[in-house]
Amino acid sequence: MAAARPLPLSGIRVLDFGHILAGPFCARMLADLGAEIVKVETATRQGRLGARRGASRGGSTSGRTPLLAHINRNRRSIDLNLKTDRGRDIARQLVNVADVLVENFSAGVMDRLGLGYQDLAKSNPRLVYASMSAYGHTGPRRAWTGMNVNLQAHSGMMIATGTPGDPPIGISNSWNDYIGGLHTAVAIIGALSKRRESGSGCHLDVSQFECGVAMIGSQLFASAVNATPPARLGSRSRSAAPQGCYRCAGNDQWCAISVRDDEQWRGLVAALGGEVPRLHEPRFATLAGRLTHHDEIDAALETWTQAQAPAEVERRLTQHGVAAATMRRGNDIAEVEEWRQVLRPIDGLGAPGTKVVGLPFSFQGAAPVDAVAAPHMGEHGREVLRDWLDLDDPTIAELFHEAAA
Amino acid sequence: MARILDLASEVGAYGTRILAELGHEVVRVEPPQGDALRRLHPHLAPAPDLESSAFHQFLNAGKRSFASDIGTTEGHRQFLALVAKSDALVASLPLPLDEAELIAANPNLVFVRIDDGPGELCAYARSGLLAITGEPDGKPVLLGGHIPYAAVGVYVAMATAAALFGKQTTGVGQIVDVSAQQCLAALGEQVWIEYNASGELLERLGSRGGITALAGALPCADGHWMVSVPPSPQGWANFVELVPDPVFKDDSSMADEALRRERKNEILDRVALWSESRNKHEIVEEAQRRHIPAAPVLSPLDLTQDAQLLSRGFLREVDHPDFGRINFPVGALANLMGTAVPFAPRLGQDNAAILKELGELP
Repeated sequence: MAAARPLPLSGIRVLDFGHILAGPFCARMLADLGAEIVKVETATRQGRLGARRGASRGGSTSGRTPLLAHINRNRRSIDLNLKTDRGRDIARQLVNVADVLVENFSAGVMDRLGLGYQDLAKSNPRLVYASMSAYGHTGPRRAWTGMNVNLQAHSGMMIATGTPGDPPIGISNSWNDYIGGLHTAVAIIGALSKRRESGSGCHLDVSQFECGVAMIGSQLFASAVNATPPARLGSRSRSAAPQGCYRCAGNDQWCAISVRDDEQWRGLVAALGGEVPRLHEPRFATLAGRLTHHDEIDAALETWTQAQAPAEVERRLTQHGVAAATMRRGNDIAEVEEWRQVLRPIDGLGAPGTKVVGLPFSFQGAAPVDAVAAPHMGEHGREVLRDWLDLDDPTIAELFHEAAA
Repeated sequence: MARILDLASEVGAYGTRILAELGHEVVRVEPPQGDALRRLHPHLAPAPDLESSAFHQFLNAGKRSFASDIGTTEGHRQFLALVAKSDALVASLPLPLDEAELIAANPNLVFVRIDDGPGELCAYARSGLLAITGEPDGKPVLLGGHIPYAAVGVYVAMATAAALFGKQTTGVGQIVDVSAQQCLAALGEQVWIEYNASGELLERLGSRGGITALAGALPCADGHWMVSVPPSPQGWANFVELVPDPVFKDDSSMADEALRRERKNEILDRVALWSESRNKHEIVEEAQRRHIPAAPVLSPLDLTQDAQLLSRGFLREVDHPDFGRINFPVGALANLMGTAVPFAPRLGQDNAAILKELGELP
């Protein structure tokens, strides 16, 4: 077997000044790409999510909630009180030997700590400094505060989703934090490539709001030209019909079906035509016909799906070459082959055998990083100072004494 | 920066778009009749047919276009010559030619292979995300505007950008496999974490989602506004100043976030009574002054005039050759990287220049 190749960001040092989700998640993506992450956190100011969800409540390993334990894996932690001169001084020394800094505070917070880009770039001009506030550090809304749901609403996503007459429709996870974190990781990698050519780092003033808006850039383009809001299509498509979610037997059970061409339609008719004779009507034979009579087809299909388990709908249709998929939930997603492929084993996070989500892509010849449980706050302070700053133990002891004072 | 050949379908095309925003040179390789993106609805008047798709106009912006029939001997040879002078190829499977030929033409190629998966809706259903999108008692629904495809695209960009950085470091390219279905699964990680941590299933919350006890999109005189009431006692006090409902003031138990959670719908319905006669921008400006996370619910049309987007250059007022004066969406990353984003190319617009660069034309 050939020697394993390094992951692409091997050797890149990242300081994670992030809190809650978007910033630490961005750093996790960089860790999965091979970078080394040190989380700078302050015991007096813990990043917490509200208590709505079980995964957001306490009682996890490493003193973090289950969600934050997942988000903050694969990094070391140093506890620095950034409100003290000594804490800030150590932070600046770490910055001087780092390649990347990630922070998602409100605009102005890092500047007030003396840790803004302008300050830090003086001594480390190669630093790639990524800020990821809700709206960006400039513009009329730079001081606005925004949670994930606010950004889902503001970025157009909730109106782009659903059917005419629906209220705004959101998604019940931290969607916008993830989208902001992913975009920022892409920008950081781009800036590292640019640095290799120019020798200089830069400040990436990411706006999580803009990341959300960019996801529907095509709809913005269309609206800018037409001066009308885009149609709300629900789950339908203009290039596949019928397409939708069909109610199945049981409580809140659904199967997604998408017929992408006439051949697949014939497959569907072959699969179900015996039980649903109306599907044989010639006016349904073409995409144009199926788009026109979509409601009628849906009604006919649902008379059949309502009496079946979703797995049976999926089985019957996929057998005939039609795309169909059971709506999965937390308790059965791991039955999906691709879900199993993104899950990675981890030790020290919850019950033995717990798995975490890794990268949804793979580099040929390079093994994925081993998933390592999130650190306790400050768990690696001394180790980081030794490794990154080459300090000896007496100096470290003195620093900690002063920093704590 | 690198030269990237783009044979991604609509599933990954946002990825190559943001690679162009990073400052990479992206060449969209299209068949002579134009690629599938040019045929995606909606089509916009008054542009010629192949330029009228909004998806083409946004997703191909910043890219060059090279039109060639790889199925012909000459097209095949030219494509391999182009591969030899490129750093990366990002392509949806199946490829129009043999992989071994690509690697022979350029042993140091970064080759990103995208498995487009079972289609947007089915991939979304299998990921766990469909179960958490839609009204609580209604039908689950796909995120609109092909947002799930765009999400796959961001991962495609990350994989490609990382492999290109690795190539700068080590001098060698590599093969990267991206699965659209795995990308959407990864975005469903909270579904997984929640179930494993608590045995609970995340649910659809429609317009009233959010991590704090009181959050939701509420009706107002001109649409909806979204509020997320901060969990702290001070946050609640600020909120009661914004919405001075006597019931909120008099009932001291409401200062407790856990108790508010139990009465979520009752409280939000009262807030809606307050907001239904008010204008969304006035409400959210006032809320923001009190440090309450609040935002207007905007449509894509509203966003084309958004002051923040215009101020930061996400939207640029331009004279477009086909569409006249419009606010053009530059993108979320281009300005950060100092990259100009030209309009989407005409079919084969860059053929002559590229053939010249290959030494095929004088």
